[in-house]
Amino acid sequence: MKRLSRWPALALAGSMLVVLATLAVVAPDFASTPDLSARYLTPLESPPFGRDERGIPLLDYAAQGAAIVLLPALAAGLLTATAATLAGLVRCAGLDGVDSALQVGGELLGSLPRLVVILVVALLLPPGWRNLLPIALAWAVLAAPGAMDEAAATAARLGGARFVEALRAHGFSALRIQLYHVIWLNLRPVLVRQAAEVAMQVVFLEIALSYLAVSRNEPSFTHADSTYSWATLLYLGYTAALGQPLWHALFVGLLLVAVVAVFARSTRAAARAR
Amino acid sequence: MTWWIRPLVRLLAAVALPLAVPALVTAALWVLPGDPAEIICPPGICTGKEVLSARWGLDRGPTGFYSTWMAHALQGDFGNSWRVAQGMDVSELVAESLPATAQVVGIALIPLVLGMVGAVLGLVPRRADPFWQFIGLMPSVILALAGAAFIQIQYGALSFDGFPGFLRLLFAALVLGLSDGALADAIVGTRGTFDEEYKQRYAQISILRGESMLGNALPNVLPALIGQLRARVVHVVSGTVVVEVVLGVPGLGELLWAGTLLQDFAVVLAAAWAYALLSGALLLVQALAEIAVAVWVRSAPAVEVA
Repeated sequence: MKRLSRWPALALAGSMLVVLATLAVVAPDFASTPDLSARYLTPLESPPFGRDERGIPLLDYAAQGAAIVLLPALAAGLLTATAATLAGLVRCAGLDGVDSALQVGGELLGSLPRLVVILVVALLLPPGWRNLLPIALAWAVLAAPGAMDEAAATAARLGGARFVEALRAHGFSALRIQLYHVIWLNLRPVLVRQAAEVAMQVVFLEIALSYLAVSRNEPSFTHADSTYSWATLLYLGYTAALGQPLWHALFVGLLLVAVVAVFARSTRAAARAR
Repeated sequence: MTWWIRPLVRLLAAVALPLAVPALVTAALWVLPGDPAEIICPPGICTGKEVLSARWGLDRGPTGFYSTWMAHALQGDFGNSWRVAQGMDVSELVAESLPATAQVVGIALIPLVLGMVGAVLGLVPRRADPFWQFIGLMPSVILALAGAAFIQIQYGALSFDGFPGFLRLLFAALVLGLSDGALADAIVGTRGTFDEEYKQRYAQISILRGESMLGNALPNVLPALIGQLRARVVHVVSGTVVVEVVLGVPGLGELLWAGTLLQDFAVVLAAAWAYALLSGALLLVQALAEIAVAVWVRSAPAVEVA
């Protein structure tokens, strides 16, 4: 696959984020009232995305879905990147005891099947706390060991504590070494890639969890009953495969998934090492 | 680092994992606001809170609950389901659902292992990597949806038994083997590990000696490959939850999902513990394999310096 060059990739990632953020900002608190006279309208008949079997615009679902996932996904990405930064800095600081403790903890945490833990978290959450954020943060914690391992390995390849010592000998301050030389110049590709991947995984996790709930006509763990996830679009798309004239819903659902995937991949390309 | 430290950590983790999962759940029950008995047995969903508290030691605090639950679990007693299959023994539900999950995971591992072997032997061309990576971008839920729709259209309402039922199982395995980058990571990750090792001086000198690079590099790369394989198995096992539900495979994942959705605590804790046992077993296998490789490498005859 031809690699995207850095600036176009950054522009692409930014555009995708703007699309998602715009959808999240315009999301209505409640979906439009059903209008049975507008059932199954296609995107050409009811722009931009058409309507479902109750005449509700698919734009409502797309926007509400974006509002559900945007902040939790970004928060999860940030948490993973923070944990990875910590592991990289610990390796550079030569704190062997802390480093070993992090590795043992990571080994334990990384051995757990993530979705199983997520379901246990979802079960234990009190009804008032049921939204995507705690689930996304739990996912980020479970994804952190992999990110920390990679960041620590990158720091070790630099030379670990000897790299920092060498830079100090050149007269750089400790803060500059950690923030600029270690994090910005060397750990950045790992941190950004891991954060983008975790953010994407959180979006897909939300879709999966909501889809499973929607398909069984049960309330979702990830959002209030009054809002709709992108999983609803995919579920409508599934009914299209079974004969309902809702192929446009499947198209919109897949388009939104593609937007998230392109965001993650282009972010990764924009941050890759020189 | 001394060679035995990593296997030792894994052995300890393998033992700790089945103990840690119920401990974490217990801790969460007591840390979260509200009465733990009401979290386990929400009013309006289940009745008999007092009986339940006495049965599981909830009235004796977190240590009482943990020790009671572990003591029962070690005897295979997880209590009765109160919503998924009312009154039925949870251990029976778990035992009934395990074969389907084992089949799904077993079949899903076939493309992954073949991909790893193909990458090592050069049978999978590098130029095909973008194709695998593109397929890997698909979330499992979407691929599973496509499979479920196909089977539903082909076989209708009777698609859960016989050949269509087996087809569902096969699709579930295929989805787990392909989606979320599983196959792409298996191919690219394995090849990358060997590429790095082939850069080593000893590997290049092996060509001058008329030996194969693969034969020389394999013992050194094996622990990393075993680790990668374990991570992939855990990934596949984790994915069964979504894929089994979407495709209607009656496995452990579907049982766990049903338990979570219906707030059947007994089912969820038992299924989660089964997954923890499986993860612990995988860690144990990895540790033993690492020890075997280390012993094999160290038992090679020493070459005298000329």
